[in-house]
Amino acid sequence: MSIEFFLDGKLVTAQAGQTIMQVAKANGIEIPGLCGEKRISKTTSCFVCVVKDKKTGKFLPSCSAMPANGQEIEVTTEEVLEMRRTALNLLLSEHNGDCEAPCTIACPAHAAVEEYVRAAGNGNFAEALKIIKERIPMPITVGRVCPRFCEKQCRRNIDGEPVAINEFKRVAADKCFDSYMEELPELTGKKVAIVGGGPAGLSAAYYLRLSGISSVIFEQMPFAGGMTRYGIPEYRLPKALLNKEIEHFVKMGIEFSYGKTLGKNLSLTELQSNFDAVIIAIGCWQASGMRCEGEELAISGIDFLRNVVENNCVAPNPGKVLVVGGGNTAMDCLRTSVRLGSPDVTCIYRRSEAEMPAEKIEIHEAKEEGIHFQFLTAPVKLEKRNGKLILTCQKMVLGEPDASGRRKPVPEIGSDFEIEADTVIAAIGQKTAAPEGLPVDRYGSLATADDGVTVAERLYAAGDCVSGAATVVEALAGGRQAALVAASDLLGIPMEKENPINVSRGKWQDLSKDELVVLRDNLSSASREKLTFIPTQERKTTFNEVTCSMTPEQLSSESKRCIECSCSDKAECKLRKFAGEAGCKTDAYSGVRLTASYDVRHPAIIQDRGKCIKCGICVKICKEVVNKSLLSLQKRGFASCIGTAFDQGFPADCKECGECINACPTGALDWRKKR
Amino acid sequence: MSNAQIIGFKIGLASCGIAAGGEAVLSALKNATSLPITEVGCIGHCYAEPLVEACLADGSSVMYCNVKPDEKSIQNILALGENSRFIIPEVRKKKELLKVLALAGHIIPTDIDDYIANGGYEGLKKALSLSPEEVINEIKLSGLRGRGGGGFPTGTKWSFLAAKPGFDKTVICNADEGDPGAFMDRSLMESVPHQVLEGMLIAAYATGASRLVIYCRAEYPLAIKHLKIAIEQIYAAKLNIFDNRSVEISIKEGAGAFVCGEETALIASLEGQRGMPRFRPPFPTDRGYQGKPTMINNVETFGNVPVILREGGNVFAQTGSEGSKGTKLFALAGDLKYPGLVEVPMGTTLNEIVFEIGGADREQVKAVQTGGPSGGCIPVELFDTPVDYDSLRSLGAIMGSGGLIVIGRDRCMVETARYFLDFTHRESCGKCTFCRVGTTRMYEILERIVAGKGCEADLDTLEDLGKKIKAGSLCGLGQTAPNPVLATLRFYRNEYLEHVNEHKCDAMQCNAMVDVALDQSKCVKCKLCLKSCPVNAISDDFVIDPALCTRCNSCLDSCPKHAISRVAKGDK
Amino acid sequence: MKKEYEFLKTIPDDPGNLIKGLQLLQATEGYISEDGIRAAAEYFHRPEADVEGVVSFYAQFKRVKPGRFQISVCDGTACHLKGAPLIHEWLNQELGLKPGETSADGTFSLETVACLGCCSLAPVISVNGKVHGKLDRKTMMKILKEYAAK
Repeated sequence: MSIEFFLDGKLVTAQAGQTIMQVAKANGIEIPGLCGEKRISKTTSCFVCVVKDKKTGKFLPSCSAMPANGQEIEVTTEEVLEMRRTALNLLLSEHNGDCEAPCTIACPAHAAVEEYVRAAGNGNFAEALKIIKERIPMPITVGRVCPRFCEKQCRRNIDGEPVAINEFKRVAADKCFDSYMEELPELTGKKVAIVGGGPAGLSAAYYLRLSGISSVIFEQMPFAGGMTRYGIPEYRLPKALLNKEIEHFVKMGIEFSYGKTLGKNLSLTELQSNFDAVIIAIGCWQASGMRCEGEELAISGIDFLRNVVENNCVAPNPGKVLVVGGGNTAMDCLRTSVRLGSPDVTCIYRRSEAEMPAEKIEIHEAKEEGIHFQFLTAPVKLEKRNGKLILTCQKMVLGEPDASGRRKPVPEIGSDFEIEADTVIAAIGQKTAAPEGLPVDRYGSLATADDGVTVAERLYAAGDCVSGAATVVEALAGGRQAALVAASDLLGIPMEKENPINVSRGKWQDLSKDELVVLRDNLSSASREKLTFIPTQERKTTFNEVTCSMTPEQLSSESKRCIECSCSDKAECKLRKFAGEAGCKTDAYSGVRLTASYDVRHPAIIQDRGKCIKCGICVKICKEVVNKSLLSLQKRGFASCIGTAFDQGFPADCKECGECINACPTGALDWRKKR
Repeated sequence: MSNAQIIGFKIGLASCGIAAGGEAVLSALKNATSLPITEVGCIGHCYAEPLVEACLADGSSVMYCNVKPDEKSIQNILALGENSRFIIPEVRKKKELLKVLALAGHIIPTDIDDYIANGGYEGLKKALSLSPEEVINEIKLSGLRGRGGGGFPTGTKWSFLAAKPGFDKTVICNADEGDPGAFMDRSLMESVPHQVLEGMLIAAYATGASRLVIYCRAEYPLAIKHLKIAIEQIYAAKLNIFDNRSVEISIKEGAGAFVCGEETALIASLEGQRGMPRFRPPFPTDRGYQGKPTMINNVETFGNVPVILREGGNVFAQTGSEGSKGTKLFALAGDLKYPGLVEVPMGTTLNEIVFEIGGADREQVKAVQTGGPSGGCIPVELFDTPVDYDSLRSLGAIMGSGGLIVIGRDRCMVETARYFLDFTHRESCGKCTFCRVGTTRMYEILERIVAGKGCEADLDTLEDLGKKIKAGSLCGLGQTAPNPVLATLRFYRNEYLEHVNEHKCDAMQCNAMVDVALDQSKCVKCKLCLKSCPVNAISDDFVIDPALCTRCNSCLDSCPKHAISRVAKGDK
Repeated sequence: MKKEYEFLKTIPDDPGNLIKGLQLLQATEGYISEDGIRAAAEYFHRPEADVEGVVSFYAQFKRVKPGRFQISVCDGTACHLKGAPLIHEWLNQELGLKPGETSADGTFSLETVACLGCCSLAPVISVNGKVHGKLDRKTMMKILKEYAAK
């Protein structure tokens, strides 16, 4: 006996006993559901699979409801989708886990930190390098100069110092860079012009090539690398290593054309007609001035640094140096000045040390090298007297927080004083010199569409010229995004999107040590391995690289310190998958979640109740399929959970058959060993 | 009257009578007289308990209310004195129609002969003289609808079960009266247990069921005791044997879960499982208790059945309104003068129930809550609404089982909504996402609002989420849980807005927005407040420290001059 | 089955009688102990995890030994309106107890119940099943003193 009814207006036929979900599937409509399992009786609990009976106006769980003759069922109307989204949002609001680890989320390139740390910790550096390069195509560089967004969010910060994540990139590259070559797909014939050979341009070229698209990089300078070459000093990133890194792009078949400046000897219109697409990655090369009388007497930070690079670190002693500014460029200028033989180097910064944007480690190392800091001091006037530069400054006090959240410095009236110097370097900031005809935003950066890279049809931009002066890893991420969007547009294939759903247990700053969830079984309590530095005297007198790579033994120890925060089920979790597809938000609803409710007593199985959606599939599987009944639903309402008898964990007669784990729609039940 | 001769006494010893001190009165009375004293149930006038009725030789009687177990009070009764005489108010006599409750408080609950002497088991006798189909037809004619809240036509429900072949069927009496603020079923079972059981026996005959199960809350020990005695008496009188078969009657005690009022959850609980509802179909009439066809009615529904059989379905249907026939019991409580149990024809207005019968002060009433935590509030402006299934539903409230809570002007509606959500979110079984997580999120938002930390956007979230929870829940609990919030948002949005925008609770109920202040001009420096304060928040010069004060009201109660009051936070 | 649980045999061992058995256990022991769960599981042929699931679902079942006097504060609607929250506040001040707790000397334990069905006497509490109605702070304290002295 068959039943005829309407699915989204289309007449369909169902066999007796079929659910609406089954009929929909047979008709090509996949209705998502979390709480069903073929072999067990219905649980009807998640309500993600709701559909609407148009006549009665009632919502039905399609996993359980059977169609009736003549019924009109709505499956994909906005109203139904909204109900579905709300069910998923509610589940997300009680979900207490980490899809991706906080380090990965913090990394602008979303590198799979946990995975490469584990691979390298196991001694498999080639695998580690492969994982790193999936997101970071310049591991030699980033492994040395990255400000380590990942480490700042590492949960080990709660009880000490973060895992030395960035060292893994450096060492993996040290060991395997030369022998590693990507599997390159066949070329599609599409060709892209990239303007700018800095990290954003290089990254774009790299990922285009991995999509089968060739490219030519047009670079204004005689060598590629952009600010990694001309801005980052030798003692942080030796040029020999950078050259090796860039040589790899050449090996991949990426072409370089040097001495080409957009708007001078390079025309955008010509590029657009000669190539299938153009990516602009011209960086921020225009220095900001001190904005005071006589500012032209100062040299800009990036000019100062570039001059040293262009002369292979041979430059005259700058004498007594004042560097105005508190960012990383200022630190580079200060430390370069020391190495050029300056007897007296001082940093002038208008706020206090706490507000300095430079990396703490850079400030620390600068102090080690004998550099002075004069905080709460702002330049008022620069003049030349008797062959010396005189910088007039005034003292500042900190007032109310400004838009950036930092306390705004306010001048102290009548506090002017003079400082004498031979060289004054202004390291205030950099801007993009936008080529004529391209849209810019209010900061003077190139304006893009919501995807962050599209400027116009087949014209993209990435890196500092979009974001303003930022970091290498951010430029690499931007370049990759531009490549993916361009490849998708050129090849007409939809872009593989990352799942935007990342539930988090919270930032370590908001968690207590007791709230740390440790699902791995051999977490080390050792403290962070120490970096080795070359002697301070050598640092002050040469441009030799300041730090040494960690040893594999050190990395093995660091790897054991990794909590492995990410969810073991992140790739398969149905909640994450459906929530991503439904356009859910992890913060749509907020409220209490179960905390510290995990069980790792069993050697092979972990139970993380914070991730449980209380569907009870595992209970039924164990009872109805395995015939054991080792699990039960306990308590009720919001507090309900899956438990074992007397909360003793999985008992000895659990045969580890894995049925409950396989059936669990999330990572609430899983194998302890991540695979 | 002084010449009248007392031949015996009746004393109300249902739960309300006992709680009011009836047992002490009983023993005092026993010490003072050798005349027979009969322990009866509740006549509905709970506010007057303990109630003692002196029965006179001429068949009339004199009632005494709020009796104390002291010499003076007892002697007053023995002498048929004028003090504490209880006379049922005329208006109540006029408005009430005692059909289901006719015998309550007048007969001995645990005496089958007393019940039979007053017309008991006439309905069963009548039923047995008809065919089962004819019995069901009488029920259909009566227009009786389920009194548990759903309002499903009872005759139709019976016919579904009757259609199942054989006698391996179960009829369940849902006596898991879980609505906080409802006590109709308790009163019926305590006062006229045989009437409920008679209704069940009639159902067993009409539907062909051979098992009768009463699922009763464990919190009702007296009801369970009375039912057990009554069942023994039925077995002894072989009233459970008819139609050449014998019907088995049992009582199962619930274990404290509101959700077990839902049919499929109730059955799961009866089977010794967690009381979690399941998707229907299959309906209980197809697969119910122990997998067999099953039908569930509530206590009051069964209480109506003997009445219908005795007087006939057509006569029964003459009482009530268009779609709702017969009478309805209401448990009146809250801010009114005469809390207790009332029985009125369907269609009686809230005005009549609350003001005329309940004696509430018209100036002091803000709203009533019907249907307990599953229902909604109805503002006093709409009290001319006739109380029946359909009118209440149109106002976003429900009939529910019959709890009727009068909410006074000095109550905060936001706090009231928070209270109901606190109840339902804790009673959710935890199965459906919308109910388990959704009601918790709604409760958290309400907690924020009463703590003075809400914002206007919260109100939209409450409304949106509330509607979705109703649409996306498997059972009645989730489908109705948002009602108190949605109804208060509809009728008292201004109170919500005051809470979120001005951080003000006009009713001075939300502690986070209230201080306790002492009016020095009224104070007589008696220091009673200082002594009463458990946290020493009042200084020797009678200033209350808001940081220490827990707003427990002890000082307010202690002050003989009413110099202390709750004021808006920051006010002096 | 341990000998001290043989009283369960007064009930047929049908698995569906579990709740009845648990009620008998609690009536006998005052609460449901782990041993009690084991005994019930064995006698009613139910897995232990399953029995725990049932015990933890119902509000009636207690997993910790209650005090000599079990104070149940009614938080039904009428009682709530008439001051159940204040009763909690008073009890907390006087005994230092929150719902679900038992005093250190084992005299009192405190719980909240949905409705005792004595709405006309609101606010009410029950102590070991005996209902006390129309409470204010003074009568509340008097009642506590009387029980404490018992």
